[in-house]
Amino acid sequence: MEALSALMAGFAVALKPINLMWGFIGVTLGTFVGVLPGVGPALTVAMLLPLTVKLDPTGALIMFAGIYYGAMFGGSTTTILLNTPGESASIATALEGNRMAKAGRAGPALATSAIGSFVAGTIATLLLTLLAPIVVDLALRFGPAEYFALMVFAFITVAAVLGSSTVRGLTSLFLGLLLGLVGIDSQTGQARFAFGVPELLDGVDVVVLAVGLFAVGEALYVAAYQSRLSASIEKMKGSLLMSASDWKRSWPAWLRATAIGFPFGTIPAGGSEIPTFLSYATERKLTKHPEEFGRGAIEGVAGPEAANNAAATGVLVPLLTLGIPTSATAAILLGAFQNYGIQPGPLLFQTQTELVWGLIASLYVGNIILLILNLPLIGIWVKVLQIPKDLLYAGILVFATLGAYSLHQSWVDLATLYIFGLLGFAMRRWDIPVGPAVIGLILGPLAETQFRRALSISQGDPSVFVTQPISATFLAITLLLLVVPFVVRYTGRSRRKAA
Amino acid sequence: MRSPAQIALSVGVVALGVLVTGVTATLPSEGGYAGIGPNFIPAVVAAGIIVLGLWLCYEAFTGGWRQMGEQTEVFQASPFIWVSVGLLAHMVLIGPSGFVIAGTVLFACVARGFGSRRIARDVAIGLVLSLGVFLFFVKLLNVNLPAGWLAPVLGGAGI
Repeated sequence: MEALSALMAGFAVALKPINLMWGFIGVTLGTFVGVLPGVGPALTVAMLLPLTVKLDPTGALIMFAGIYYGAMFGGSTTTILLNTPGESASIATALEGNRMAKAGRAGPALATSAIGSFVAGTIATLLLTLLAPIVVDLALRFGPAEYFALMVFAFITVAAVLGSSTVRGLTSLFLGLLLGLVGIDSQTGQARFAFGVPELLDGVDVVVLAVGLFAVGEALYVAAYQSRLSASIEKMKGSLLMSASDWKRSWPAWLRATAIGFPFGTIPAGGSEIPTFLSYATERKLTKHPEEFGRGAIEGVAGPEAANNAAATGVLVPLLTLGIPTSATAAILLGAFQNYGIQPGPLLFQTQTELVWGLIASLYVGNIILLILNLPLIGIWVKVLQIPKDLLYAGILVFATLGAYSLHQSWVDLATLYIFGLLGFAMRRWDIPVGPAVIGLILGPLAETQFRRALSISQGDPSVFVTQPISATFLAITLLLLVVPFVVRYTGRSRRKAA
Repeated sequence: MRSPAQIALSVGVVALGVLVTGVTATLPSEGGYAGIGPNFIPAVVAAGIIVLGLWLCYEAFTGGWRQMGEQTEVFQASPFIWVSVGLLAHMVLIGPSGFVIAGTVLFACVARGFGSRRIARDVAIGLVLSLGVFLFFVKLLNVNLPAGWLAPVLGGAGI
């Protein structure tokens, strides 16, 4: 019940007119940019991060949560009408949603996706409200060794286990870790990898890396490989109203998807990619209309879209209570907190009660605003989709460079941005995931601090990581995750040889 | 099927690891109670990069990187160059000419890269967009952006 009174105080913060306004601006901007094809939530948050330099932390973070949520809602519109999923989490929606649009049922597809996102987002926020204080109590008992082990666990799941190739995921992670080392060492004041360039002493900014990899890299890639292609936009035909049978088929899918999405969001499993596919597979198995799957089944839109939003909220549990980002977008959100000198974690719930509960309360409000923005006003977003590709990417790059330049008013940041753009281009071309690099940059320095703190406390005795039960458990799971796939592959191969 | 690009990238990762090792060697190692200094994690990262680079090399030389997505489209040099020229011109221009002019040039170059042939339209849209962003940021958010050559027109806005 303590959580309930804290939440009520949070609503008092979130419903202040000024914060309500920031929340509204956030979800609107998020939806707008999220609708743009090729712009996912991670890039949306990164591009808009510099907007907040002059705002107070509570308002800015409420706006950011809104952008994060809005980009999720907006992305589904693009997926359904355009069939070019902006991010991997939308692929499952694209399978059925775009077919529905082609069959003239764009309206119900958009409706089930928006209402499902709202239902899942609201239930997931409720779960976040209830779960956060419990995790905080647990986390308060964590020392540096436990944090370090948890971070290693997050690194390995995000980089090595997810994605198509372990070695390429890890390479991306280590690039991020290396970039995280640039600048002044927080423990000793020693400059590292700065090569005497003053701009590098502050370290590599997450905005420059994320915008470089996602925006500049993406623009270079699309220009070089896809500028001749043109996508066809499905017309917004039919009414937005869902029929009785649509409702009947949608709501169980929403609830099942929330049950799948939220837990996956809370563990370091790379955000919403796995739960959306799991939800799609579940709906496909349970449906009474298997013949419609692949031709536009409404469950196939309702489930993944709800799972996507539930997972997005679940990601906030480790982010707010432990300070551990489990997706690229969450890493950038953590960067937003750090810009204000705020470190998310269990102490945040004690020292910044207003901010953190105001933020959580704003998620409830944001979900309602988004439902209104995305249903009656859907026509506006369809117009946004029709922006031609040449003007779209030109505009994206104007904002991308603005974000990088406004950090220090220095052309050095623009040069770094272009270099990261080339890197992002190469990574996209040769199928190296970019998410682990962003997580490595943000989480790497935190992991190093915890590692050295743990060793300081143990007077340099490294056994501290394996003798404490929580830390030992996380490290053991991490090792298993790395080793088991190889063992399975190896034994599988030798068995095949033997047969 | 060996891909020269994959081999080059793999070798590049190894070379990066060696370079990081070299820089790490110049960092101090004293670390107080912890017994490790500011050079410890860089050494771990350097070792990791070398191992991963060798692993990539192994894959590149034995049938190519595993689990690669299909790449069917052909690389088009001219759009890539137009986008690059836009970004580099913007970087050079933003100091002297200011945000609005640099942004307009960037916008027009990128649009050209994506196949637009309507230069006048692109410049016009780029100018309106850059000017709008400039005024919004400078007047409303108090973010400093350079006015440059347009300083007399834009008045006291910017720096």
